[in-house]
Amino acid sequence: MTDKTTAQGATPGGPGNDEADATTTRAAVVAEAADGTSRSLTADAFRSLRRNPFFWISSALIVIFMLMAVWPSLFTTYDLGFNDLSRSRETPSGAHWFGTDTQGADIYTRTVYGARASILVGVLATTGVLLLGSLLGLIAGYVGGWVDTLISRLGDIFFAIPLLLVGIIFLSSLQDTPTLLGIPIQGYFGVIFQVVLVFVLFGWPSLMRLMRSSVIQVKPNDYVQAARALGATPMRIIRRHVLPNAMAPAIVVATINLGAYIAAEATLSFLGIGLRPPTVSWGVMINDGLTPLRASPHILFFPALFLSIAVLAFIMLGDAVRDAFDPKSR
Amino acid sequence: MRVKSRAMAIASISAVALLATACGGSSDTDSTSGGTAGGAIVSGGCNPENPLVAGNTAETCGGDVLDVLTAKLIHYNPETAQPENDIAESIETKDNQTFTVKIKKGYKFHDGTEVLAKNFVDAWNYTAFGPNGQQGGYFFEPVEGFKEVSDPKSKVKKLSGLKVVDDHTFTIKTTTPVSNLPLRLGYTAFAPQPDSFFDDPEAFGKKPVAAGPYKFDSWEENSAIVVSKFDDYSGDFGGNSDKITFKIFQDADAEYTALLAGEIDVVRQIPPSALIDNKFKTDLGDGRYLEKENSTFQFVGMNYHVDPKLKNVKVRQAISMAIDRPTIVKQIFNDAYTPATGWVSPVVDGYKAGACGEYCEFNPEKAKKLLKEGGGYDGKLTLSYNGDGGHKEWTQAVCNSVKKSIGIDCVATPSVDFKTILTKLGKDEVKGLFRMGWVMDYPSIENYLSPIYGATASSNYYGYDNAAFQKKMSEAGAADTPEAANKLYQEAEGLIAKEFTTIPLWYGKTIIGWSDKVTDVKATPFGNPDLAAIKVK
Repeated sequence: MTDKTTAQGATPGGPGNDEADATTTRAAVVAEAADGTSRSLTADAFRSLRRNPFFWISSALIVIFMLMAVWPSLFTTYDLGFNDLSRSRETPSGAHWFGTDTQGADIYTRTVYGARASILVGVLATTGVLLLGSLLGLIAGYVGGWVDTLISRLGDIFFAIPLLLVGIIFLSSLQDTPTLLGIPIQGYFGVIFQVVLVFVLFGWPSLMRLMRSSVIQVKPNDYVQAARALGATPMRIIRRHVLPNAMAPAIVVATINLGAYIAAEATLSFLGIGLRPPTVSWGVMINDGLTPLRASPHILFFPALFLSIAVLAFIMLGDAVRDAFDPKSR
Repeated sequence: MRVKSRAMAIASISAVALLATACGGSSDTDSTSGGTAGGAIVSGGCNPENPLVAGNTAETCGGDVLDVLTAKLIHYNPETAQPENDIAESIETKDNQTFTVKIKKGYKFHDGTEVLAKNFVDAWNYTAFGPNGQQGGYFFEPVEGFKEVSDPKSKVKKLSGLKVVDDHTFTIKTTTPVSNLPLRLGYTAFAPQPDSFFDDPEAFGKKPVAAGPYKFDSWEENSAIVVSKFDDYSGDFGGNSDKITFKIFQDADAEYTALLAGEIDVVRQIPPSALIDNKFKTDLGDGRYLEKENSTFQFVGMNYHVDPKLKNVKVRQAISMAIDRPTIVKQIFNDAYTPATGWVSPVVDGYKAGACGEYCEFNPEKAKKLLKEGGGYDGKLTLSYNGDGGHKEWTQAVCNSVKKSIGIDCVATPSVDFKTILTKLGKDEVKGLFRMGWVMDYPSIENYLSPIYGATASSNYYGYDNAAFQKKMSEAGAADTPEAANKLYQEAEGLIAKEFTTIPLWYGKTIIGWSDKVTDVKATPFGNPDLAAIKVK
């Protein structure tokens, strides 16, 4: 996987399933040329997406979750601070759709408010990983040589560390630190920042590898060579030719990962080291529901259900997008 | 200082608990004899924090084991907590200041040597000596010469108040009169140590020798501690079963599951998950569990010298009246606690109900009125708690109750562990409220007053300094009879009620469960199962 700056094989020798997608772009370009129509790859992908029912289902779910994250009061009449201890651990009823928890708070309201933290972590982590991973992958693939070796080896090192393990170590050591590099890391956004930071720092290698092999495949193409012969600057070549043709697999994988990050955030919060009360998140709620699990399983059930649906929605969307961008699967 | 860090069994799943599950290890419990004595029992246990040295054990994990290993001058009756002579033949005093202790002749350590007066005096000197850093050192505070000996850099190795008269007699002289001194002598820190202890205390702690009903057999780290019946036990409080294995568990849920599976015979506590809706009662069935009030006392402290917003006593009383104790106890603790009516646990000698009066009753109307009279409270009020002790639910509930009743924006704020909070408290850095707990060291009202509210006491985190209180306490210490002393102590408690620098919350309850293989399980007033008394069916 090293120093194959000129490699063009259908399957680059690198590990990881992500890279199997790397052939996509080139194949798509070839397909497009053979087709003879003027449709771009993206337009083509969107056309196929529109016909995919999974795309519509997952999009609808994601829109609802996004709306919950932005405007939770739209969904519930209760205030987040509402609680009535004398009515603790009630089962679902007309007044409390999902029942009440140990503190007598409305579980439905808390679940709706919990969406914000999960979605924020998922979206921010995915964006961060996509940006950092693509940038490094682009540099490694395009520049090649010792820069590639350096970035790839660095990626291997970070790739070898399990994300959850490093999350536990990192977050538990920061638990009592008020600021990191001058940024306050306690409080709602502070803790979200911590979690996102961990995911970005240790999640970029897979996307870097994917991007790198994509770039390596696009680079020797005729249109890139032509642009170079015409005297285009490297920046222009990257922006106009390499990036648009190499980006698709990275976006696909990032979308699928979004769901995985939401699940990882919930895991860390459940362990008590991710988001912490009074911040509401699904992981925190699942943790709260653990003690009364035997007597009142509904306290744990509803946040867990929402978590599963959200993760499923993002993974389904990622799947649909992958299908659209991968002509082989059509 | 024996402040309590844990409310009850911990349900909070920590990273550690998830990664490290309770260690297994096969148990050999199946030697049931069917008789009333003999047989082996397996008790749930936890990892002792320190080696098993009586003077250096201030937590229950090691304390449970030492309870059956050691014999002390005094033995507390498991039922009534009344002191009974064990090694002591008699403890006499004329002025509550000089005590003459006569010990029984022929009392044997597990290694066969006799318990002599010097074993007590040497052990106590060792524990009190500052450079030894023993956790039980503060118990010797009343003894003359403690100040010089207890300094961490001290060169004085002997308490001037302790004197060996002959092999079976020694005297204790206290700095000021202490009427209840004999009552205190049953605590583990006052246990005698055999001569072999002083040769190598470090190694001794891994293989302790004492004079109690059971002798030490083996200790497999993180797995089990085994003790067996001491055949030459000389006291009156011998054990019933032949062998006790303390199987070590990392969390209460695992321990409870092991009980249900028949792997262990006694659990020291029922985990919160089984307390909910009294699940444990159906899990275990009638006659296999027991509920009994214990000495745990939970309260909320504050230091208004550090936080001037709490300066007015009416504000503090208003906060207390805004806490709906009965509902919290019912919904959060599933009645494993009882709402407090004063600052002293009902299980101790000298307890008087109702010291707190109406201020410990939930009354939002009156609370609002008091808050107004006291000038109100602006801004956020934090209630700090240690995140490692399972306090999240109730601190949140207390804050919710305060917020709802009198509109103060109360936020329960976790701190990593108990040590962190205590360190911050020591530096006067904690504003607002903080949770506190107390378990008695010895069954006396005095134990709930002087270590907490004495002007220079080790556990006074509240900046409480009241000359009238000090005077009452020393008067009580010098009182002729325990009854007279208790009356004075109760008056001292009244002074605390006036100042209201701590808010009483609730008293603890011991709930223990056992398997159908054992019988005669009783709980001591300290909240532990009385292991020596347990019989195998």
